Amino acid sequence: MNLFNRYYRGVRLVDIVATAALIALITSLYFGKTIAGGERTEIAQVERQIQDEKARIRLLRAEVTHLENPSRLESLSASHLGLAPIAASKETTPDGLAVALQKAPVS
Amino acid sequence: MTLTTPSFASPGWRWLKSRLWQLEHAFERAKAAGRAEDDTRIRIVVVMAIFSMAFVVLAVGATRMALFQNDSGSGISRPTGSARADITDRNGTMLAADLLHYGLYVDPREIWDTAETRQALHSALPDLPLRRLDAALRGQRRTFLVGALTPEVRGRIHELGLPGVTFEPEQKRVYPLGQTAAHLIGFTDTGGVGLSGAEWALNDPVRAAAGQGQAVPLSIDLRVQAALEDELFKTATAQRVKGAVGLVTNVRTGEILGMASYPAFDLNDRGKATPDALTNRAAASRYEMGSTFKVFTVALGLDSGTATLASTFDTSKPYNIGGRVVHDYHAENKVMSVADIFIHSSNIGTTLLATQAGAPVVQKYFKAFGLMEASPVGLIESAKPGLPSRWDENTVASTSFGHAISVSPLALAGGMGSILNGGTFVPLTIRPVKPGEVPKGRRVVSEETSRAMLDLMRVNVVRGTGGKADAPGLRVGGKTGSAEKVIDGRYARTTLLSSFAAVFPTDGPLESDRYFVLILMDEPQGTPETFGLKTGGWVAAPAAGRVIDRIAPFLKVERRPDVVAADPKAFTPEHLGANER
Repeated sequence: MNLFNRYYRGVRLVDIVATAALIALITSLYFGKTIAGGERTEIAQVERQIQDEKARIRLLRAEVTHLENPSRLESLSASHLGLAPIAASKETTPDGLAVALQKAPVS
Repeated sequence: MTLTTPSFASPGWRWLKSRLWQLEHAFERAKAAGRAEDDTRIRIVVVMAIFSMAFVVLAVGATRMALFQNDSGSGISRPTGSARADITDRNGTMLAADLLHYGLYVDPREIWDTAETRQALHSALPDLPLRRLDAALRGQRRTFLVGALTPEVRGRIHELGLPGVTFEPEQKRVYPLGQTAAHLIGFTDTGGVGLSGAEWALNDPVRAAAGQGQAVPLSIDLRVQAALEDELFKTATAQRVKGAVGLVTNVRTGEILGMASYPAFDLNDRGKATPDALTNRAAASRYEMGSTFKVFTVALGLDSGTATLASTFDTSKPYNIGGRVVHDYHAENKVMSVADIFIHSSNIGTTLLATQAGAPVVQKYFKAFGLMEASPVGLIESAKPGLPSRWDENTVASTSFGHAISVSPLALAGGMGSILNGGTFVPLTIRPVKPGEVPKGRRVVSEETSRAMLDLMRVNVVRGTGGKADAPGLRVGGKTGSAEKVIDGRYARTTLLSSFAAVFPTDGPLESDRYFVLILMDEPQGTPETFGLKTGGWVAAPAAGRVIDRIAPFLKVERRPDVVAADPKAFTPEHLGANER
């Protein structure tokens, strides 16, 4: 009696094996697709988060640029702190600073 | 191989081998035994096996596709949506960007309490016209109500939890600096197409860079731009001018480092700007520049061999051409050298120099300086010059001191740069030049002429009409301009276009970085500080000096003692141009 003529409770054994293999295949494919779908959803969520963060970074950069606008800073520093562009006579080099410190009176 | 050989293999292994052997020879045995039904069955099994294998391959492929395929084109991830890339200054500071905003939609069919929704939306968006809100609430379908809501405003409305009020994301072009560099940056239409300034000039690169997530840098330096605008606008306001222009360029590379036009406007609120404020005077307006043109006249006189710095001309008497008399604003009434003609800004002197050179020579040089065409800067606003219809002696005389020919400030800056950078015409650009790169240009004057003009402009600041532009230790050179404007077809003596064309530092190798600064005031009114005077030396030169004083540190120009300032009297015409400093 060969493999194909074996029966189990009236059903050909090879049919049972093939059916079992088919069910296993369908089940594994279902789980594979389900798991993959979940992963894809998660990837999409992460990508969306990245896009949102990028958009937020760009928005914050624009805000920083607006807040650091030189004309705005200049008017604020002039009105609140009384600051103004430094006069040329007040400028010095590191070497000039060392010389000035040496000449400064010792208290 | 034989399966009858006694074996010490396990019973299970022996069973499997015997079954395989049986299966392998079933076809032969069936044929030998004449059992046709078994023969057919085995064929069926073979075909089934082949199909099973094919299905297994397909299943493996499908599983692989499902688990490991690239999701980039799946359509699940959201597109970035930016139609245009960011525009930045040369140091990466953001000047323009597409930012995520939201459009607000109202669907009256889903609204439970119309009065409450109306009240809530009106409180959240007080600028929204009530008429428009009521029309949307009375409608029968979903209606767009207002766009360009910031995420903050959208969040505030969303928290109200109003049924029938929804949002859709949209991109809006935003200019974080408002009116800073507004004319140079330019703007787009609602469809994301550039309409003016760099937005128009760089439309294709900006759109291409958006896909790659890169920014497009401009040549301007925001620090230079801010200092230029601050000084220009302060002076313009004080002088109650009709308009004003400020320019800073690198004459070696042609890069525009700062460009300002007064009055300015806010790029984010340009709907409220007047046409006058929208005009980029640096590029789109053309002026009869006046005495700053004497830089061109003296340069062409020296370079063509018409005269040397020591050549003399009799400027003691007004010069008659046909029915016209040329006078000097600062009349010296004496014989002057070319150097003195420049320093005293003598109209008679430059007239004599230009007429001696002749119309063909003047035209040839003006063309080489780029004064006979629109500045090739790439901006749509760049204006063509107003040229004389014929080049007779009268025209040559007028153009020698900046009358009878009108050019844009950009064209003037391009021509000046070609004289001050060693003698090469390098087109102005709004794109940054890579460090160390030497832009291609065409030679227009010799290096000797270029050196002589640098020295001459420095002397003009030390002991000429440009004294108020001097910035300590920065070796500033320059030329004043006080052009009478044409009113009702006649030159009006008290309505001036006052300007100062400066260069710094005037010393150092010709091929090194050197900066050109132009300050131009259209119809200044004079102030008590200027004793009511409106000329370039009193109005524009001080502003140019202050701009240079402030931007020099950003451009890494160090202050140091200057030979000319130390002993200006030692600089005779013979010395000028011979000093390779």
